[in-house]
Amino acid sequence: MPHHLLGVPGSYPLVEALWLLPLAGAILCWAFGPQLRTLAGWLASALVGASFVLAALSWGAATQTAGAALGASQALGSWLPGFDFGLLLDPLSLIWTFIITGVGFLIVFYSIGYMEGDRAYARFFAYMSFFVFAMLTLVLSDNWVGLLVGWGLVGVASYFLIGFWFQRPSAVAAARKAFVINVVGDAGMMFAIFLIVANVHAIGFGDVFSAAGGLSSTLVFWICAALFIGAVAKSAQIPLHTWLPDAMEGPTPVSALIHAATMVTAGVYLVARSAPLWSHNPQAQVLVGTVGAITALTGAILGTAQWDIKRILAYSTMSQIGYMIMAVGVGAYEGGVALFFTHAFFKAQLFLGAGLVIHALNNEQDVRRMGGLWKKMPFAFWVMLTAVLAITGVPGFSGFFSKDEVIFGDLQFGHPVLFAISALTAGITAYYMFRLLFIAFFGEYRGDVDHAHAPGWTMNVPVAILVAPSVAIGAALLSGGENSPWARFFAAQFGPDMAAIAHRPPAISEGVTSGIVFALVLIGFAIAWWRYASPGAQRDAGERLEGETRGMPAVLVHLFYVDDAIQLLFVRPAQRLGAFFGSIFDPHVIDGAVRDVVFWARWLGTLVRSFQTGLVRAYALILVFGATCFIVYYAFAAGALH
Amino acid sequence: MAVSIDHYVGLAAVMFFIGVIGVIVRCNPLVMLMSIELMFNAANLLFIAFARVWLQNAGHIFAFLVITVAAAEAAIGLAIIVTTFGPERYVDVDDVRALRG
Amino acid sequence: MALVPITILLPLVVGALLYALPRAPLDGVYPEPSRRARGDGWLARVIGVATAVATFAMLVAERDAQWSVRWLSRPFTAAFHFGATPVAFWIALLLALCTACAIATTRVARTRDFVALLLMLEGTMLGLFLARDLLVFALFWDLMLLPVFFGLLNWGEHPATAWRYFIYNFAGGLTLLLATAAFGVIYGSTDVIGRTGAPLVGAWAPWIFAGFAFAFLVKTPIWPLHTWMPPTYSGLPPPMVAVVSAVQSKAGLYGLLAIALPLLPNYVHQYALPLMVLAAVSLIYGAVVALVQNDAKRVVAYSSLSHLGLIVIAIASLNPLAIKGAIVYIVAHGLFSAALFMVLGYVEEREDTRSLLRLGGLGWKNPRLAGALCIAALAALGLPGLAGFVGELVILIGVYQAGYTWPVVVALIAIILASAYLIRLYQDVMNGPEVEDLPVRADLSWVEGLAVAPLLFALVALGVDPAPLLRL
Repeated sequence: MPHHLLGVPGSYPLVEALWLLPLAGAILCWAFGPQLRTLAGWLASALVGASFVLAALSWGAATQTAGAALGASQALGSWLPGFDFGLLLDPLSLIWTFIITGVGFLIVFYSIGYMEGDRAYARFFAYMSFFVFAMLTLVLSDNWVGLLVGWGLVGVASYFLIGFWFQRPSAVAAARKAFVINVVGDAGMMFAIFLIVANVHAIGFGDVFSAAGGLSSTLVFWICAALFIGAVAKSAQIPLHTWLPDAMEGPTPVSALIHAATMVTAGVYLVARSAPLWSHNPQAQVLVGTVGAITALTGAILGTAQWDIKRILAYSTMSQIGYMIMAVGVGAYEGGVALFFTHAFFKAQLFLGAGLVIHALNNEQDVRRMGGLWKKMPFAFWVMLTAVLAITGVPGFSGFFSKDEVIFGDLQFGHPVLFAISALTAGITAYYMFRLLFIAFFGEYRGDVDHAHAPGWTMNVPVAILVAPSVAIGAALLSGGENSPWARFFAAQFGPDMAAIAHRPPAISEGVTSGIVFALVLIGFAIAWWRYASPGAQRDAGERLEGETRGMPAVLVHLFYVDDAIQLLFVRPAQRLGAFFGSIFDPHVIDGAVRDVVFWARWLGTLVRSFQTGLVRAYALILVFGATCFIVYYAFAAGALH
Repeated sequence: MAVSIDHYVGLAAVMFFIGVIGVIVRCNPLVMLMSIELMFNAANLLFIAFARVWLQNAGHIFAFLVITVAAAEAAIGLAIIVTTFGPERYVDVDDVRALRG
Repeated sequence: MALVPITILLPLVVGALLYALPRAPLDGVYPEPSRRARGDGWLARVIGVATAVATFAMLVAERDAQWSVRWLSRPFTAAFHFGATPVAFWIALLLALCTACAIATTRVARTRDFVALLLMLEGTMLGLFLARDLLVFALFWDLMLLPVFFGLLNWGEHPATAWRYFIYNFAGGLTLLLATAAFGVIYGSTDVIGRTGAPLVGAWAPWIFAGFAFAFLVKTPIWPLHTWMPPTYSGLPPPMVAVVSAVQSKAGLYGLLAIALPLLPNYVHQYALPLMVLAAVSLIYGAVVALVQNDAKRVVAYSSLSHLGLIVIAIASLNPLAIKGAIVYIVAHGLFSAALFMVLGYVEEREDTRSLLRLGGLGWKNPRLAGALCIAALAALGLPGLAGFVGELVILIGVYQAGYTWPVVVALIAIILASAYLIRLYQDVMNGPEVEDLPVRADLSWVEGLAVAPLLFALVALGVDPAPLLRL
């Protein structure tokens, strides 16, 4: 673990440049949108691409000059003593930076074609660039406050992009929901920062981790739990997941970049970043692992009951992130990060492939109105097929290696129940992904778009590039167990933490678990084939799908009633309370009390005014009477004195 | 018989008492104003008398002050009387009750 | 040296002179919508902005200067003693900035008189914040109520609001004056603001504290003394409510910081819990009420109740870090509430309504207007990177360090609610389908844009680097 390296002052001029370039893109696109016209897209992708190149260069520079000097931080400035900000480049932040800028570049480039003709073309690229900047802030920060800043900024970027087509009420509502739920997470993270600062008096990762050993385990648990609220909200974990499917209201590239590849994995990053805290607290690990596993299962189950192509992918994302959270929760950091890494490629590919279809079919997203598309759009079909094979974990594809590492990690770290859940989830994943593929691409076309217009090269090329890593990167980096390039890359980051856990060798080897999982995947595939692709199912596909829609269990239609529960328990009570305070308590109770004061003052006034007769001579008489009283009193008082 | 301070005090008391009675029993504002003047002058008489007895000038100064205030007060009082002097060319203070609460 | 009294007198004198000048070139005809956009009464506005900018420059030039003339020697010593304390300096800058921005966008009937009132408001409040003498502070406290009172009476929606504002705040002014007099008699001098003297103790001290606290809490306001505030904020014309919510509401907080805290620390400590409970109630109460208001200005008014409660919590915690955060948040709240009210004023001028039920979809035709409202709303809900976040974070870290957990939890709940009502405010105005029967008007003019730009820029600048405020 390089905490001894964290916080060592270093010099990475390239890091600052790669961090700020996307911000420059955002400001330029925002300020000169009308002048730039379609150039905005090219400008934004050029700057994000440049940022990717700089990330690669600074990685090279760091490894060359000082060997393991990755992990030093670049000081930026300070608010107060103890509040020092800097940028940190270590293996963990580097992996995220690569995905954010690399996959980000491909997706921004893809958007040039996808967003063509939109009335707010330049604004879209401003938001996308801003998102890349915000996400880089999140992962490059070397302290909790900087991380929270990035955390909040990606939330607002996501808000803007979900509500990008803000004339649609559904998009507006989705954006609002996403934002507010994410602020719940921000509040949790703020509380964690209060706990940290009050006990450690520092905000830097290095300082906190080196002090972590001296903190009581209850305190560490609460810090982890509060941080995890942030992760739950941002990474769409149960029970704060409901914003993610709604977030599909945004343009498809947004769903690919923010709500699949990068932002929603911030929770995984957070837990992996805080590994030294989690590793010493088994209760926190169980909490995170359990929530992750339940989310993985729930997401997969809900994914089987969707008809909107993007919502299927959204639940799939939720489920996959559940896997990642579970992995980093139980301590299999390398596996969790590996799944993030490979998932970024194949899920981006799935979304961009879906984007090709949606774009071609004039924004049709309902798979029931697709079908037989492999003939119309062979390129999109092959893209989707390779990505589906990757996500379901077919041996050889990238998802196989990362998912196996995650599922085996459960056993490695002694969580057999979680292992069972995640293996089962793998089977369901195969079912719903092939269901999507079969309904949309097999059989006969059921929609009414006569001529599917082909996307331009700017859309096809990025998707084609993504195919390579989602097929091959797993075999290239992850195969080889302890000696894989991946394991060596992270050896310094996570090695000691993994060793810190009592390392019981599991009863069955990784080969056996792979076999079990693959068997379940085959079962899932077979069921999907039997229900949607077998010649019997193909014959009357339209009616069968309609029948399935009608027969869908209510609990799945209502998505396990989570939204309704949140409405019932939090939203409506708050609104009722507000209405009560605003229109009953304020005007009647508080102002009522004030009116009471006014009433008694008036009553006293009426009493006194009856003395004011207006008769001058009566006043004179009263005056004389009063004066006489004084004289008599003082005469007697004086007399008594002497 | 020498005129002592007691005589002055007695005279002032009588003047003041006449003034008080005048204000209370008469309805004509002009007569009331004159009664008030009578009270002022009773006070002035005392000021001067005691200034003389104790050989201090403060009493004289106060007398001047009182005369000034009395003049101002008479001016304002007469102005009020003129404004309330109705077409019947008769004023009774009991009829002027605009200030009744 | 001599610039300090001139800073205070200049807006007062220019304001008075504006009344004396002929109305014709200074004023415009109202309310033809077509002429509103053309800047009637521009001369009065130019003079007003120039005056406010001049006070800003003088404040910066004479940051540490003091100026004093003996006033009373019995029964206690008092002096016309002016000079900015470090906190007051920033509030005064905020005041000059907000006044300039507000005057630049004034478009009401009788512009000349309104600009004159705004200048007098600035002058009286500069007197308040620059005062180093408690008696002078109390004097300006009452004086600063008058411009707002006349503003409400002449330009407000209902005269009863004016009286409600005045009676509430004047009652506070009365207890402030009584407490000041008692303080002076016991302490021997009222020339005490910004000095490190011995704290006041004795049998009368709790009563003096109560007098100060009542005045400050009415002005801030804090639940349950707040019911004058929503009608005042929704009734005042936008330029004036921007200044009042941004700066006048800080008079009470400044009083707590600069008077109650140094002079009566024992009693702040003793009554910290009740203060905190009231502030926490304000925090939640304002937030939930803002959630369901349909009048855009009332949403912001109740959000002020909520946000200022947080500052009172910070002061009551007596933690140095929390108080640093409170200073940041005082400035940040001034900036974003002024910006919010000004932009909502633009919206109301354009659409002749500020009902969230009526408005909608303006963002498409008015992107600059939407951008301005968006940044202001995001700053108000505490988006990281903007000044409001720094204030909230540092305050809550300090309050937690001081050992109070429940106010922190309450504040976090309020932050979540704030995101809900401010996003609702923004979306209901700017997003959604365009409303057919709303008039379509031009986007932000350059004067309007220039008037809110400094506020928004300051929010970003202080959000990125709040060190100048944190290191006071």
